[in-house]
Amino acid sequence: MKKLAIGALAATALFGQVTYERLLKAPSEPNNWMTYSGSYKSWRYSSLDQINRQNVANLKVAWVQQMPTSHRIEATPIVVDGIMYVTEPPSNVFALDAATGRPYWHYKRSLPAYNVCCDAVNRGVAVLGDRVFVGTVDAHLVALNAKTGAVLWDVEVADRKTGYSVTGAPLVVKDMVITGVAGGEYGVRGFLDAYDIKTGKRRWRFNTVPGPGEKGHETWPTTGPHANSWKQGGGPTWVTGSFDPELNLLIWGVGNPSPDWNADVREGDNLYTDSAIALDVDTGKLKWHYQFVPHDANDWDAVQIPVLVDGDWQGKPRKLIYWAHRGGFYYVLDRETGEFLLGKPFAKQTWAKEIDTKGRPVRLPNSAPTVEGNVIWPGVQGATNWYSPSYNPLTSLFYLTVWENKGWYLKGDPKYTPGNRYVGSVPDIDMSDDQGYGAIRALNPKTGEMVWEHKTQTKPWSGVMTTGSNVLFGATGGWLNRSSREDGEAYFFALDAENGKELWRINLGGTMASNPMTYMVNGKQMVTMAAGSAVFTFALP
Amino acid sequence: MRIRVLMVMLGAAGLAAAQTTSPQATPAGRAAGEKIFRSHCASCHGVAGVGGTGPNLTTGVFYHGSTDADLYKNISQGIEGTAMPDQFFNGVQIWQIVAYVRAISAAPVKTKLPGNAAHGAELFSTKGCSGCHLVKGEGGVRGPDLSLIGSQRSVAHLRESINDPGAKVDKAYWVAKLITKDGRSRSGFVLNQDTYAVQMLDFADGLRTVNRSDFKDFGVDRGSIMPSYKDKLSASELDDLTAFLASLERTREKK
Repeated sequence: MKKLAIGALAATALFGQVTYERLLKAPSEPNNWMTYSGSYKSWRYSSLDQINRQNVANLKVAWVQQMPTSHRIEATPIVVDGIMYVTEPPSNVFALDAATGRPYWHYKRSLPAYNVCCDAVNRGVAVLGDRVFVGTVDAHLVALNAKTGAVLWDVEVADRKTGYSVTGAPLVVKDMVITGVAGGEYGVRGFLDAYDIKTGKRRWRFNTVPGPGEKGHETWPTTGPHANSWKQGGGPTWVTGSFDPELNLLIWGVGNPSPDWNADVREGDNLYTDSAIALDVDTGKLKWHYQFVPHDANDWDAVQIPVLVDGDWQGKPRKLIYWAHRGGFYYVLDRETGEFLLGKPFAKQTWAKEIDTKGRPVRLPNSAPTVEGNVIWPGVQGATNWYSPSYNPLTSLFYLTVWENKGWYLKGDPKYTPGNRYVGSVPDIDMSDDQGYGAIRALNPKTGEMVWEHKTQTKPWSGVMTTGSNVLFGATGGWLNRSSREDGEAYFFALDAENGKELWRINLGGTMASNPMTYMVNGKQMVTMAAGSAVFTFALP
Repeated sequence: MRIRVLMVMLGAAGLAAAQTTSPQATPAGRAAGEKIFRSHCASCHGVAGVGGTGPNLTTGVFYHGSTDADLYKNISQGIEGTAMPDQFFNGVQIWQIVAYVRAISAAPVKTKLPGNAAHGAELFSTKGCSGCHLVKGEGGVRGPDLSLIGSQRSVAHLRESINDPGAKVDKAYWVAKLITKDGRSRSGFVLNQDTYAVQMLDFADGLRTVNRSDFKDFGVDRGSIMPSYKDKLSASELDDLTAFLASLERTREKK
């Protein structure tokens, strides 16, 4: 009897409750990985150092969880006190034993027809208390009981029939769960929402395309035949942002304007598309914004992860944001004001001469799509994209996945009909004469200069993570199992974060389009990466 | 967004597949479809849809399904195992393409080819073609498998390939030439490659993986290794050989 009681206690302790205080101090609990990017600062860095540069070559597969789905996994798992919560695309959730991969429960959502541009994917869950939150491709937000997977509430974020979906991982702040939306290829009007974690009631909404009377609306046509283009203006928010508790600011990236490749119907800067936005987390009110690409016609979303670092800037301590944008420039912004501090190319680009002192790009000729087509660097997928970067406080370097590639940008006729694609053309991603290549690069975040690079034959669709032992985990890219004769590649690898030297690799044989993460269970550091429809976890023997 | 042109458009396709005939089968719909066809399909299927490096679409025979719904599916999702990609169009546009393709295939003109296919088959082996090309499992592997070539390429393309093999060479048949650090030279087709190695069909050794760290020299010749038959065949022999190749058609799938 006594034994049983102890067992029950241990089980209760194992299901530890995630509090907001724990989320605030997430970096001090490296055994767990409690938010999409590992902490509110979004460094995708763990101070765990059991796996180090000397022994990483001995990594072995600890477990594999093959998911029933045929879609690729894009999720970063959350691990809390030995339990892993990871999504199975389109919109299902598994709770797994983080030590063995064995499932505790599986939430399977039955879905109506939905609209997602680029496969029905999901990037993960958020947790708070005994709740797990997941966004769905039919544009709902669902709260599940963390112990059973039972649905606690299920709210509609937006109308799926008009092209909205939720693919990003939510972010919990205080007693709210924040979620963005996808749908930039369907002419949605983007927004960011906050919901009460207990009731699912919406607390606030920030429209990323301002309506009449709202500041920024003047950056859209207000008269003439396109006066309503803002209603289908895009600006989705499909990748998880960051949070600064001291400034009480939520910092989030906003995606492309709609239609993607024909900007004629939306004269003006098209705020707040392709922008970083900073919102008061309690009210959803805009504190500042910075637009990377005014009047974008190249589909260069600003949905990258905002990396928040308190650092020295030209001799003075300053709250900074490091941001490598899809258009090929690396930026440093002031986190309190949004002031532009630095903009420097990290890959070949042919669209801007420079970013001027006020932070506005100086456009080069032939940098927009035309009816005949224009070759522009970077290509449609950008010089980087949604995959996570990493900041390592030991090396003080910023790491990211880079594509060196060009694209063929065509302009066509955009016609808006609700729930249908509204893109304005069909660009070519891979140029058959020159497909380009990929790389993992380390930048000096103060200058944007490259410190080292690790080149890859194919262009990676995955992010990077670094650890307290200066190991970087990353992946090669390419789409596998396509009809084309040459496949991509599927190597998961470890590099020396100081110099980029490769230390270990394994072929996982499935499309990798997610981000590595790490945690510790039973005294062992584990490293997890998804490939294809499976989750792979590695540890030392 | 992260567009991936090759991804399956499950949602959109799911909704649209409920339609069985093109709702765009109107003069305006066909005209819009023609416009898209010329910009996005003609590079393989020819401006008039009579084929090129892709199949002729005017014969009235569609090997991967002949209903409007089949065509919709093949345009929106691509055809597995072929060079046909999926297309990033909305449902309305895809139905417009279907309507146009349907229009150009409505009254197929079966042109009788000159030439004697049976004699062409003899030429195929006596002139050395079978040394490099497979037909129904017989032949070599230094060139494309021609077992279904009559369904895959236009007659004009076949003639051109016999007379001027280097005019259009599929990337899969570019020949890699490789010298390793130990002085050994290899040549063959690149089947796949990654950051660390090249997976190739070596003409001498068969399937081989060669590590990039062992490379001394590596180059790819984008031309063709096939000799021109321009002066090696008479006009009637060219007709016969072309007739033989055109007869190598896919058996129509029964529904």
